[in-house]
Amino acid sequence: MSRKGGSSTLLREFPDFEETMQSLAAMERMPRGVVEECREAVALARRFNRTVARNYALELDRRMQEDPAYLPWELVEEANRWGFFTMWIPKLFGGKGWSLSSIAPFVEELASECLAITNLIGVHYFGFSILAATWNVRLIDMISREVAEGERTGKPCLVSGAVTEPEAGTDAEEVELLARARVRCQARRVEGGYVVNGRKIFISNGHLSTWHILIAYEDLERPDETMIAFAVKNGTPGFSFGRMEKKMGQKGCPASELVFEDCFIPDEYMLVAASRLEEMGLLSRAARKAERGPRELGMQLIDFVVSATRPGVGAMGAGVARGAFELALQFARETEVGGKPLVNHEWAQCLLAEMYVNAALARLSYMEANYANSMHGMARLLGFKPLYYYHRALPTSVFDRFMPAANRRDAVTTAFRLLVVAGQGEEQERVASGWASLAKVAGTDLGVRNCQLALELMGQAGLRHDRRAEKCLRDAKLLQIYEGTNQLNRLNIFKCLVAPAAPEAQVFQD
Amino acid sequence: MIGMSEELRLLEGMARDFAHKELVEGREERDRYPFAPLFEEVLAKAHEVGFFTILSPEETGGAAEPVQALCLVLEELCREDASLGGAVFTAALSQELLRQSGSEEAFKKASAGAASPREVLPAFPSFHNPSDTPLSLQAVEEGGAYRLTGKAEFVVLGNVASLALLPAGSADSGWSLYLVDLRGEGVEIGEPLLSLGLHACPAVDLLLHGATGELVGEEGKGEGYFEAAVDRLSVAAAAASCGVMKGSFETALDYARQRIQGGREIVNWSEVRMILSSMAVRAKAAEMLVRRAAAAVDAASPGWALASRAAALQVQEAATEVTCDGIQLLGGNGYMQDYGQEKRFRDAKQLQALLGTAPLRKLRYIRRVVDGERPWA
Repeated sequence: MSRKGGSSTLLREFPDFEETMQSLAAMERMPRGVVEECREAVALARRFNRTVARNYALELDRRMQEDPAYLPWELVEEANRWGFFTMWIPKLFGGKGWSLSSIAPFVEELASECLAITNLIGVHYFGFSILAATWNVRLIDMISREVAEGERTGKPCLVSGAVTEPEAGTDAEEVELLARARVRCQARRVEGGYVVNGRKIFISNGHLSTWHILIAYEDLERPDETMIAFAVKNGTPGFSFGRMEKKMGQKGCPASELVFEDCFIPDEYMLVAASRLEEMGLLSRAARKAERGPRELGMQLIDFVVSATRPGVGAMGAGVARGAFELALQFARETEVGGKPLVNHEWAQCLLAEMYVNAALARLSYMEANYANSMHGMARLLGFKPLYYYHRALPTSVFDRFMPAANRRDAVTTAFRLLVVAGQGEEQERVASGWASLAKVAGTDLGVRNCQLALELMGQAGLRHDRRAEKCLRDAKLLQIYEGTNQLNRLNIFKCLVAPAAPEAQVFQD
Repeated sequence: MIGMSEELRLLEGMARDFAHKELVEGREERDRYPFAPLFEEVLAKAHEVGFFTILSPEETGGAAEPVQALCLVLEELCREDASLGGAVFTAALSQELLRQSGSEEAFKKASAGAASPREVLPAFPSFHNPSDTPLSLQAVEEGGAYRLTGKAEFVVLGNVASLALLPAGSADSGWSLYLVDLRGEGVEIGEPLLSLGLHACPAVDLLLHGATGELVGEEGKGEGYFEAAVDRLSVAAAAASCGVMKGSFETALDYARQRIQGGREIVNWSEVRMILSSMAVRAKAAEMLVRRAAAAVDAASPGWALASRAAALQVQEAATEVTCDGIQLLGGNGYMQDYGQEKRFRDAKQLQALLGTAPLRKLRYIRRVVDGERPWA
């Protein structure tokens, strides 16, 4: 037996070498251009922070405390002017087509200044990622082009994602729980479309968005098998905005209630339905072989989304960990304690070093998850070198000439679904989802931790709104909750990354 | 509790009733201050029942209660709304400073026949130890009177009280305490500060331009008075944090019993139980610590001062963690103002800064031990 052969068997034992070393595997596959894009994205975010966010963040937070119903349209318009809402939409669909790997470093940079502003920009891509995960190419293309048009005309067109319900938060993140969930948002099949009734809550950017990617259920007794997604536009009869939540932090980004009362949605705005997989080209041979039924495909859809968005939330954690660290460092430099600058006290140096470590660990986590998602997630095709360079080199105008017509064809949707959805192995789904949860838990816990430490160091100064640190803490706490509470994410880490070493273990059955 | 006198038990019950009756309803709206009116009515009622003069000597109209009494009241009030707790603590601290400096006469004069809280609440920057960093506020003696110039930051109740007790430095000695008439000349009161927590317990920056200050105690002895007050009142700060912790746990438990996810009440998820348990254990440990330390303070038993300080450091930090879990168990709902949990999280973090930053208080604690003070027999 060759030494090499023996090693590879050994390395496949738990913990699987490839699985624990995402960056090593990704490095050789990654196009060099991605590095340059990351640099440019961070520089752009830094410029935005200096010119816009730094002055505006406190003012906006204060304003929201005074008037919780205020809608920060001026921020939406400013971000629209900076081109942030199309940067990560593929050129195929009329966007600027930046590499998806560059979004997390961009998010960290923005988040080091203000999480509310970061969420307002980032959550548009949460909405977009649900839309993208359905691989309904016709609707992806149509909505993306409206976003691009909104950028050109200065009339922002944002996309929100509507998943959470009053009685289903954690439950909506996992099909095992969904099977027992008390969801209420129902889509009833009628001639020519669906009638939707129910409420969605905590929808970030709800009031500020034009399109809403809605998750509903056809049979409330079997939500795990009847998940259905729609694209709903403002002005659709039967759809309205409800209350705006009064949050502790991230106040500049509204959390909205979306209300559906006998809201008729025509078939053409239905993105994907778990109950009709066959006719949607989703029950391919590959899928049948893997015994993927409606339930498994529902989970795959959830995993597509969260594998892309949870590393982003981890990056927000890394960003606020850094922001809090930077404020603490600044305080230590300008504060005199016991006759010398605080920054010259050994204990303060150790504390600041710990905070630096926390930010770095958060960053390493989301980068690994990013690599995992770029190799295994829903956009993995764009990471192939030939496709990457082709997509990057061709000007948008060329795409614009040919793609809209092609994207309208059902065959294109079917082809993409075959490649991306049916073509994703269960192992790939598991690894991408596990790492995404890991990055989310690590980044957000470390982020909150650094805010706590900064406030301890700063004492009275840290309590003042005008010193920024208290806002970091208020903003950061939400990171441990949205995109699945860190408890749900720990269970998902167990399910995806730990359970392979304990095949008899049952998850979500306790 | 073993050893709690009948009198203390009555006081505890009274504070609990007061908190239920006055501090639950309207809490969210009161917490909108400075964007909503100040809760003057609640302050007046708290004054009426004597919460602002618990430690004050009887000659000044106080109740001359032990520190244990103050702790029980703070714990009960902060279970529902720590803002009032912040005001009660600040009043007790400034009165304690007057007592330590032997200046009760000055205070008696100032608060004679006090009919409103304004007159008994000397404002004080309770979230700072004036010895930690150089003071901006400086005092100069001019013909037997002191003129104060500079900035006093984060003066708690500075826009409510008529008097403030302010630490100020002078050219050749340590810092001293001065009683300043806030309605007097040369006092500029800033806008209420927007802060992390305790919104209804307002703080302001004061700018003094040669304002008259009445020296309290001896010149240059501010640090001694302050540290003596910290010895006695650290445990009271701990009691406030302990109350917040209990409130956070109680709300989380109620919610976990009602909220259903995955087809069952989340209180039946074993991981939720683990979090609830860790909250309950830390709250119970805090309660025991506070009561034991408060009894030690009142009995002046050996090591009482270190006991009081250790309790504060320990309980305040635990409260920041427990209230963080207290939000987490309510998920998105915990993050919204409707359930009071996000307020407790903010309040607990703010309370941790009472009497100065935690790291510097830790260093002070160990300095005393290194210098020979025994933490235990």
